[in-house]
Amino acid sequence: MYKIMMFTGGVYKFHELKEVIEDIGGFVLQEMVMQTETMMHLAFPEEEERRIRDKAKELGGKLKDLPLAGAEIMIVVPSLGKHHAVYPMCDIAEFLRRKGAITNMMGLARGVGKRIAQMTVQEKAIIEECDAAVFVLGDFKECIEEKAPKLCESLNVPYMIVGGPPDLDLPHYVGGVGRRTRRMNRKADIDKLEEMTAEFKEVLGGRIEEIEEDPLAASPLFVKEMIEMTLPPKAGEELPVVIHLDGLRVKIEEGDEGKIRDIEIGKRKLSEISEIKKSLYEGYLVKILTEAVTGGIF
Amino acid sequence: MDVKVEGGDEFANASYEKICDDIFRDIGLRSNIDRAYMYCNAAEHVFIISVKIGRVPSPVKVWDVTQREGDKLRITDEKYAPKLLALMWDKYGDRVQQISRLVIGFELKEEEIPDFNDLIVYDPREDLNTRVLDGIDRILPEGARVRYPMPSTEGITIIASENQIAEEWKEKAKEIMRKMASSKADGGA
Repeated sequence: MYKIMMFTGGVYKFHELKEVIEDIGGFVLQEMVMQTETMMHLAFPEEEERRIRDKAKELGGKLKDLPLAGAEIMIVVPSLGKHHAVYPMCDIAEFLRRKGAITNMMGLARGVGKRIAQMTVQEKAIIEECDAAVFVLGDFKECIEEKAPKLCESLNVPYMIVGGPPDLDLPHYVGGVGRRTRRMNRKADIDKLEEMTAEFKEVLGGRIEEIEEDPLAASPLFVKEMIEMTLPPKAGEELPVVIHLDGLRVKIEEGDEGKIRDIEIGKRKLSEISEIKKSLYEGYLVKILTEAVTGGIF
Repeated sequence: MDVKVEGGDEFANASYEKICDDIFRDIGLRSNIDRAYMYCNAAEHVFIISVKIGRVPSPVKVWDVTQREGDKLRITDEKYAPKLLALMWDKYGDRVQQISRLVIGFELKEEEIPDFNDLIVYDPREDLNTRVLDGIDRILPEGARVRYPMPSTEGITIIASENQIAEEWKEKAKEIMRKMASSKADGGA
């Protein structure tokens, strides 16, 4: 398995770190050079962590663990009205991003209320395109108890519920947040967000274990590299390829779908080792099949 | 402003007290509201909010927001600039010009000046109801879309729910209104 970390430091001898990553078969996921500062998300085989740490130390940079990296998460709120946005949904999304996740936000069309709350089939399908979902609900125990099963239980992806009442008997529930009118930037709030991230890691851990037990034909990181060799990112384009735990979201134009299908991954074509379909939300979804289904690709 | 929330569990009551406080402060009504009381019954999805309006500031006149410098006026509070200019152009037409962002030039006779100084730029009473209702709308849960307003001389009480509003809740709201009205005398709603 690959480990994903964030490097921050100066530009001096920065290319040497990239060379080490290439040598050990790692990948650069995101890179940003801001004058004399650099920020890079890098993925490398777990057993090579020592070499990366040594190099980072030599360059005087810092390495930070990104426990949620490689996952695209949907933050779901009952509506995008001022009752639910921007706090606390943006604080939660921001915090998950700091832990390495790519986050999207979604307000349900008819998610408000208790009895009247519902989720459309299309909304469910969009949420299921992501690796996991976080539902941000309100203050009332009775409302959460009634609407949480209606909204979340039918989902095929791991989910977590964030709400107000401190103790509720629901799976993967974190309380103590609820409706907010200001930013969660105080000590107690940050501790709460840390607690939420720890719970979320557990939620995601189950899915990661499943994938480890039945490995994919190719790592999404490797497929991303191959896609970018064929379709290089355009200038100013941000995250044209988003990594999922079991695939990728590729933001390309309609005509380029054929090019993606024909990309060679080892001895096979990408279309042979994955299911490619148009996303309801953005770009194309590439779901990599397991090695058990496709056989070896090299 | 006194805020009291009852009916929910401990967390919800504390949270809604904070929400009421913050929202009325955000829309600049905190000093105009004497008391706000909210009753939450999430099990039956009924929320009653009652607001008692207190002292409202007196109207803002031209001399409150400007400073005279010969035949020019300097706007001291930019917030009122659009309203002030619209009012002056309406009344004096071409005799008033905006020289720069905060400076207005005028060609008025000396005897017109006192009347001009007393013109009302903004009366907080004008949009008080709209602002109070906006505040209440932001506080009440979004799903509670069925509303039953009960205005009184001193404020407003609104019942909100996602279901049809039963007579028992109307009675409850009336009781809350009575308590709010007498709250000045006995100090509790």
